[in-house]
Amino acid sequence: MSQAQTGSMAGLKPQEVAFWLGKAVEWGQTESPDTQRDTCLHLGPLRAFLQLLLTDIHMRISTTETMRAIPFVGQFLGRLCWNPYVTADAESRSLLLQSLWSLYSEEPHNAVERKANQWIRNVLCQLATEEEDSATHMLVKHMGLPPKEYNVKVLRKMVWLLVEEVGESCSSLADPNQRCSCDSVLAASVACLPLVTCPETAPLIGALLQRPVTCDKTALSQDFLDAVSSAYSRKCVSLEAQAVVSLWCHNLASLEGAVMSLLDSVLSNPASIPHNLESTITHSLLPKACSQHGSIFLIVNDIFRSMLVQVEGNQTLLSLIHTFTICFLRELAALQPQECVSLKAFFPHTPQSLLAPLLTHPSEMAQEAWPEHLAWITASLQRLTEEEEEGNRGQCGVFEAWFLLVQCADWLEVASQLLVSARPQDCGPLLWLLTFYHHPTNRGHHRTQQLVAAREVWDHLRSLFLLSAPPLPADRLQSLAELMSAVPQQPSLDSLLVVSLLGNFAVFSHNPLSGAREIVRMVVQRSGLVREAVCVLDMVELRLNRERASTSLTDRVTLRTRALRGTLTHMAQHDTHTHGTT
Amino acid sequence: MEAIVKNVERTTELLAVSQTETVQRWDKQTLDRAFQWTQYCQHVYTRFHANPTVRDILEKQLQVTNESLRTTFHGYTDITFSDLSQCQHLLLVGLLNNAAVPSSVVKLLFDTITVGGKYKDATGHCTELIEVKSACKVLSAIHLKRSTSFPGSDADVLGMTLMEMLDILLSPATGASKVGLAEKLLDNLLQTCGENENFSGVVAAALLSRKNNNTAAATTTTKMASEGVSFHFILDWLQQHHSLLHNMCSTLPIGLLMDLHQQSLRFRVTYGDMLKQWGSQLEYDVGEGEWVQMYTTDGVSFKTLSDHYRSLLGACPSTKEDVERELTELKVADGDFDVRGLSIWGDLLSELNTV
Repeated sequence: MSQAQTGSMAGLKPQEVAFWLGKAVEWGQTESPDTQRDTCLHLGPLRAFLQLLLTDIHMRISTTETMRAIPFVGQFLGRLCWNPYVTADAESRSLLLQSLWSLYSEEPHNAVERKANQWIRNVLCQLATEEEDSATHMLVKHMGLPPKEYNVKVLRKMVWLLVEEVGESCSSLADPNQRCSCDSVLAASVACLPLVTCPETAPLIGALLQRPVTCDKTALSQDFLDAVSSAYSRKCVSLEAQAVVSLWCHNLASLEGAVMSLLDSVLSNPASIPHNLESTITHSLLPKACSQHGSIFLIVNDIFRSMLVQVEGNQTLLSLIHTFTICFLRELAALQPQECVSLKAFFPHTPQSLLAPLLTHPSEMAQEAWPEHLAWITASLQRLTEEEEEGNRGQCGVFEAWFLLVQCADWLEVASQLLVSARPQDCGPLLWLLTFYHHPTNRGHHRTQQLVAAREVWDHLRSLFLLSAPPLPADRLQSLAELMSAVPQQPSLDSLLVVSLLGNFAVFSHNPLSGAREIVRMVVQRSGLVREAVCVLDMVELRLNRERASTSLTDRVTLRTRALRGTLTHMAQHDTHTHGTT
Repeated sequence: MEAIVKNVERTTELLAVSQTETVQRWDKQTLDRAFQWTQYCQHVYTRFHANPTVRDILEKQLQVTNESLRTTFHGYTDITFSDLSQCQHLLLVGLLNNAAVPSSVVKLLFDTITVGGKYKDATGHCTELIEVKSACKVLSAIHLKRSTSFPGSDADVLGMTLMEMLDILLSPATGASKVGLAEKLLDNLLQTCGENENFSGVVAAALLSRKNNNTAAATTTTKMASEGVSFHFILDWLQQHHSLLHNMCSTLPIGLLMDLHQQSLRFRVTYGDMLKQWGSQLEYDVGEGEWVQMYTTDGVSFKTLSDHYRSLLGACPSTKEDVERELTELKVADGDFDVRGLSIWGDLLSELNTV
């Protein structure tokens, strides 16, 4: 027997229908706290059912057919229309109204459809214009208040009163005579489930989230937290920053969701970095939350760590972690002194000897002190790696140290900058640091080879930028380009390391700009790493902006950076133009 | 001025048209424009309701318009100046009740709310209404400590609006103070309410609204000046509406009365007088051994009276002293006997002292 013949609902199961019909009747009959609570807790499933119902109605040819197939529909929708918990929630309300409109016939063919039309128009008119309390309505009219404005003001006043009360923490621990108010706040949080997306009640949602936690009873229901979290990730609710931080404190899933969302938006759009990176990260509110709650910072870093393991060698991810840490440290510094926690709490796994040196920003010390500082850092790292290889320490030590280096990558760029002017006898530790950054694990013990390769690159660059006069030695250019485009499988140097060195040499050396331009252009063209080179230059510029106060050579260098970047961008455009789509 | 008159006239015509079959041709643009016109009229009301001259002109024009529209449109209801404040609501009611309105237009009104820009169009107007009203109902079911307290948010909003209106009417800044209009307003409102109970809460909320507002927005100097004026005006008016005053004092929660007592010397006097009057209405029933109400049906019981006095004693030390002194003086005037049943004041004192 086909379904069309029996006229039964396609996606709707009879027991489901019976269940929801029963609920609609039950909710309409009494207004006890229990029924109200029941309605709120069933909102999610109700939405799903309404969606099924709507789909079903859409499949029908006419309202007459609908009324024959699902005769309960009118009564059901009608009951729900008068349930404020259903109509306050944006999604249920929308589904409800859509269903009603689906039952409306533009050209009614018979009495049933005409009656349905009339009923629908009636319900809508009543919903929008009926005033419950006629005495109050008369007063409103005589005071010259437009009814809509009056209703909005009453709502705002109610929200304001509740916000005040919710904000008072329960003092039952301090004063046993006072009754704990957490139970009623818990009930209130359930009652607010339909109001999570309503803009006027946002202050109340925020107040509930930020309620001071002073007793061990839970004051916020899990359903409430899940609803807010879901609405926040869909950008359906506007919460102030502190409320969002509180949400994350209460609900781990929403914090993880926020971190994944940040990672997603950054990693899926690498072209937007690095300039927008800082603002994207700041807008996510995660650095602020991390600075206020060490536990949040630890969780975020854990997620970063697991991403690093999954997506090895992703420069975007490394930049993200670096910029995130910068934002975090900035937020931390902005906190009131009494709220400050020692840095050890935020970096519990890192070898303590490296913590202070790496977390000190290059701009906090004189440029002359940089080489010595870096030498110290490098020596510590070398010691760590040797100990690990000898089996003395766990693997964690080196990884954590490397992770901290990633977080404080400004030092790495400083090392690159210093390499431009370093003497041959001083370049060792700096090259080691760079190699370590790009190849933290000494798999297959290739580090020695990598160091040799790095030295070679450095030699080439030095001779190109510092020693030669035009015309440029073609063979040196060729070998440099070859180094950069080496096959990834070989344990050769990371091409990014080479590009980074190239960029730094171009920016910080003193040879004429035209010469530098030519070198960069030729090498990058042969290796094809235009985007990476542009990225390196952007990072140099950003770092210089951060250190604006301390460095003396900013103007000259900034101009060079911009000019070189211009050349590369022009090259990239020219390339795509001549070769069509890349 | 002429432009305003013309625009009001046009909107009145629009309202009349919106209830006829002509609306079949309406579309989104027409709807938006109609809403904007009604919004405009509401602004006109706000701007000029306290200005008798302009109000007069507009009212006369409306009379003329009404006459002509009455002949053109069957079943036409007149629009008065005070209806202008409800213009948008009237349009909405007219449209939703008019079967000739195309369903596409109605659908616009119930569409999802668009987070609007500067100029608000009609899309989602009804959805927003439903959202706000439902949210109010949901919130009113939440019971935390203070939020269930009298007078309730609706009376609060009305009370605050009332004070704002009185401020405008009584402030010297808007030209000569319009005491007459203010009185008429209060009389009108009381009449509209019918029962005293409906209006008591609003009046109490109006008197208390300054206290709540003081911590919120900054008050300008002109506002400070008239804040006392409106408050006193209401108290003056209450003196002439004794039954309302009686209703207020006997039905409002005592805590609220204590708030008012704290706030205003003038109210203290009014309230004190009221209590004394209540006391003088009680007679001692020898058979029952109780003080009872003999003459009035809505009088206050002995217990209620003593509750009121007890709160006063608990208010603050200076009040306690004053009240005790007053009661003692009254007891003395009655002969200063310590026997129960001879003087209500004496019995009150002994009742209060036993706690």
